Amino acid sequence: MLEAFHNSGGQGTLFWVSIILYAAAAIFSLALMKNPKVCTLVSNGLCILASVFGIATSIIDIAIEKIHTDLYVFQSAIPYLSVDIRLDRLSSFFLLCLSVLVLCVSIYAIGYVSHYFGKRNVGVLHFLYAAFILSMIFVMTSGNAVFFFVAWEAMALLSYFLVIYESEKEENVNAGRLYIIMTHIGTAFLLIAFMIMFSYTRSFDMFGSSAAIPAFAKNIMFVLFLLGFGTKAGVVPVHIWLPYAHPAAPSHVSALMSGIMIKTAVYGLLRFVFSYLGVQNTWWGVAILVLGIVSALMGVAYAFVEKNIKRLLAYSSIENIGIIFIGLGIAFIAKAQGNSLVCGLALAASLFHCLNHTLFKGSLFLGAGSVHFASGTKNMEELGGLIKRMPVTAVLFLCGALSISAIVPFNGFISEWLTYQSLFANILPGHALINILTILSVAVLAMAGALAAASFIKLFGISFLGLPRSERASNAVEVPGVMNVGMGILVTLCLAVGLFPMAVLQMLDRVLTGFAGISILPQLKNGWLTAFSPLSISGNAVSPAVIAGVFAGVILAALVLIRIIGGKRRERKVGTWDCGFESLNARTQYSATGFSKPVKIALKILFRPSRVVKTEGDLVYHPESIQYLVGIEPIFERYLYDPISKLARSISHKIKYSVQTGSIHAYLIYILLTVLILMFYNRIA
Amino acid sequence: MMHAVYALIQIIVIILAAPLVNGIIRKVKALTQKRKGAPLLQMYFDLFKLLKKSVVVSDVASWIFRAAPYIAIASAVAASLFVPVATWPESQGYAGDMILFVSVLALGRFFMMLAALDTASTFGGMGSSREAMISALIEPSLLVTLFTVALIAKSTSIFQIMHFTAGVGIPLLHPVYILGFAALCTIIIAETSRVPVDDPSTHLELTMVHEAMILEYSGRDLALMELSASIRQLVFITLLVNIYVPHDQMIALYGLSGFAAIAVSLFVYLIKVVLVSILIAVIEVHAVKLRLFSIPNLAALAFIVSFLGFIQYFVLGR
Repeated sequence: MLEAFHNSGGQGTLFWVSIILYAAAAIFSLALMKNPKVCTLVSNGLCILASVFGIATSIIDIAIEKIHTDLYVFQSAIPYLSVDIRLDRLSSFFLLCLSVLVLCVSIYAIGYVSHYFGKRNVGVLHFLYAAFILSMIFVMTSGNAVFFFVAWEAMALLSYFLVIYESEKEENVNAGRLYIIMTHIGTAFLLIAFMIMFSYTRSFDMFGSSAAIPAFAKNIMFVLFLLGFGTKAGVVPVHIWLPYAHPAAPSHVSALMSGIMIKTAVYGLLRFVFSYLGVQNTWWGVAILVLGIVSALMGVAYAFVEKNIKRLLAYSSIENIGIIFIGLGIAFIAKAQGNSLVCGLALAASLFHCLNHTLFKGSLFLGAGSVHFASGTKNMEELGGLIKRMPVTAVLFLCGALSISAIVPFNGFISEWLTYQSLFANILPGHALINILTILSVAVLAMAGALAAASFIKLFGISFLGLPRSERASNAVEVPGVMNVGMGILVTLCLAVGLFPMAVLQMLDRVLTGFAGISILPQLKNGWLTAFSPLSISGNAVSPAVIAGVFAGVILAALVLIRIIGGKRRERKVGTWDCGFESLNARTQYSATGFSKPVKIALKILFRPSRVVKTEGDLVYHPESIQYLVGIEPIFERYLYDPISKLARSISHKIKYSVQTGSIHAYLIYILLTVLILMFYNRIA
Repeated sequence: MMHAVYALIQIIVIILAAPLVNGIIRKVKALTQKRKGAPLLQMYFDLFKLLKKSVVVSDVASWIFRAAPYIAIASAVAASLFVPVATWPESQGYAGDMILFVSVLALGRFFMMLAALDTASTFGGMGSSREAMISALIEPSLLVTLFTVALIAKSTSIFQIMHFTAGVGIPLLHPVYILGFAALCTIIIAETSRVPVDDPSTHLELTMVHEAMILEYSGRDLALMELSASIRQLVFITLLVNIYVPHDQMIALYGLSGFAAIAVSLFVYLIKVVLVSILIAVIEVHAVKLRLFSIPNLAALAFIVSFLGFIQYFVLGR
């Protein structure tokens, strides 16, 4: 370890300090398990400290000239059993996203975890939390595929345990089971890809050359990487675990899972495909783009009809991964076409969206946690009127919702704008198929944007506005200040990034020059957010800060002018207009299900809505009770996964009765056959 | 400094002209129905009167309900900055980008939809959820239409696009612009809550979308909501007429410059707006309100037309 300190520069020391602090957090949380209060404070305190060191590490690493920094290299006698931890600017960028999120989430957790006191063992929770963060850091900083794989697997297992932390709930255990199966299918694809990598290059070095790998093997590896990382990212159609697993975990862990864990897949794709394999064919980018389009649309469509707050957020993560993949797809296409400027722009767009999604999805999951903390439910149909009971949470949540809906002056708009600009720049004469795909991406982005805004209007409007729909909602009180501080930092960052995007873009430019050798700064001039469009020399410019100023100016002018014309505001408070009937109550409001119904019917090809009306009683027109059941058809589960699992079951059933009979004679024959086959194989080979 | 002056003229022209469009539409509708109709300036009188009245607010409502009118007007006015009404000698201080334009309008819609849910009224929820559907269906066509003209003009700035089409001569002679024009007309009807998508003149729960959302508003809040809706409408009309029927080339033809050019240009612009208002009124008179679940067909039509426009130019070649 001492040697490690010696080998690296300043940021190396900071990095190891942060690692040691995370490790200490993990150890102390187990040691102090008996006293939940102290345990929570110490463990989260150490995580906060560690994340500050993490932020410093990544900022310094992005700022310095040196592109790669070896932090720790351990070469064993067996060549592929080496440990190689290194930091380059891409790793640092993701480490920065992670550290910022961990900082806020750990502050929040100090308050949030208190509702587990006396009910569950929080020591274990904090241990898993810190270890989970460590595993993600090693995923991001590993320089060797074997070590990467170990960290990747650790990340999957630790997050599995976090998903089933509240294991008394049947649904959580089921979610965990689905998650562990899906993530291991993804891991299996990665394992095969790493084996192909080793069989050609005799090395697991992620920063090495892939020249020895023939083109067809690279194509196979690309598909394996796309499936493997795609499963972790939650792209459609390998997304089915995500809407169940993310909501099942404790909310601050959900924020980490949705905020940063799914981005490790983006990191993996960039590291192994973009950087290691090198983009060879245009169809690679097209495949990523198509996955992105489908995920963005399906994710947001399912989010819109969801009424569980956390599941809505999880589906929205699928949408945002789709947007990131649209950017990545464009970058891959442009790279294959040799169009490095568009490639840089698209990479900047997707990395920017990674950062933004970390910030706003983190804050929204924390907000959902606050709602759950205060009311005990995640079901929108039981909420309502929280804005009066939890005013601070409501404002913070609203800001998060505005950010994710890509509305100026918040940060979501900036990355969406960059994505649109890269799509704009990608339309070049002479590529009919790519042009059609690109304009379809534009349409999908537009629809996803409108539906995302509608989803969050629904989420906020139904849960925070109107009248409380249940006892729980009307008894809710504002959460402890420390939780709002954690969420508040994230929301402030959303606004700051939205108002001053150039600061982030300058950082991204350094990341891109270090990682892809492309500089986007010449296209971003004058301090405005100005992007290059390859078909013109004129710049397309927008300035969120000026627009925010215009908003403020107009509001002020309106206030003053109306005051002059109409005098002081006179306000009368009366009940909501009820058409002269009996007064309205919470049940006459629109429900979450009702809100999404028009879209559900308009897109019925996708949702296949079902409706069952059960009436009881003999009288047709005056039944004793009416039961009304609505639902949507889970098309992926029904048409993709059910047939596969049925097939797997029937095969294993057959094997059980025809091959694995339990008869010793049969097994002796199997052994004999195996020996014979091996002998023949040796003879031939 | 001049930028600020132009921006101010721009804002004032749009705010002052916006209610007039509604007046013309109502007048033309009345005339076609053999009625005398309200005076052209009725909406100005209404707004002025509303501003002086006291406000009735539901006791369920939170600050969202009270803030929404101001945010709606801010969003509409900010959006009006992006669509030049006249020949400005140079690009405005910050070039309005069409993506930003869409996002700025989305801010107003976001708060309007929230405010509708804020009073716990069934009507509000109804309008809000229908608006969600309509916006989700119409947004793709809007972006594709704007993207197509932007790609031809090689810039996403609306100012640059208008500048470019003014150089084309008569854009509506080219198929790509005809298709875009048709798509944008449909989009405008949906975006500004006009027949056949919505009916601005009724308060019947079966038809209403926009009216349902602002049902709980009164007094100055209602005035702001109405004004911002009419500004939005004029902004879209300006987008339509200044991209597809540009008149800048005419001004240049007569060799005008400076403030004379701006004045003439403004005058021509207003004539175009009046003509489009009459066109909208004629469409409204001759159309019936669509069933809510037939709106997806209209949106699909708009999308197909805009998509064909793109294909015509960028895939089949010019």
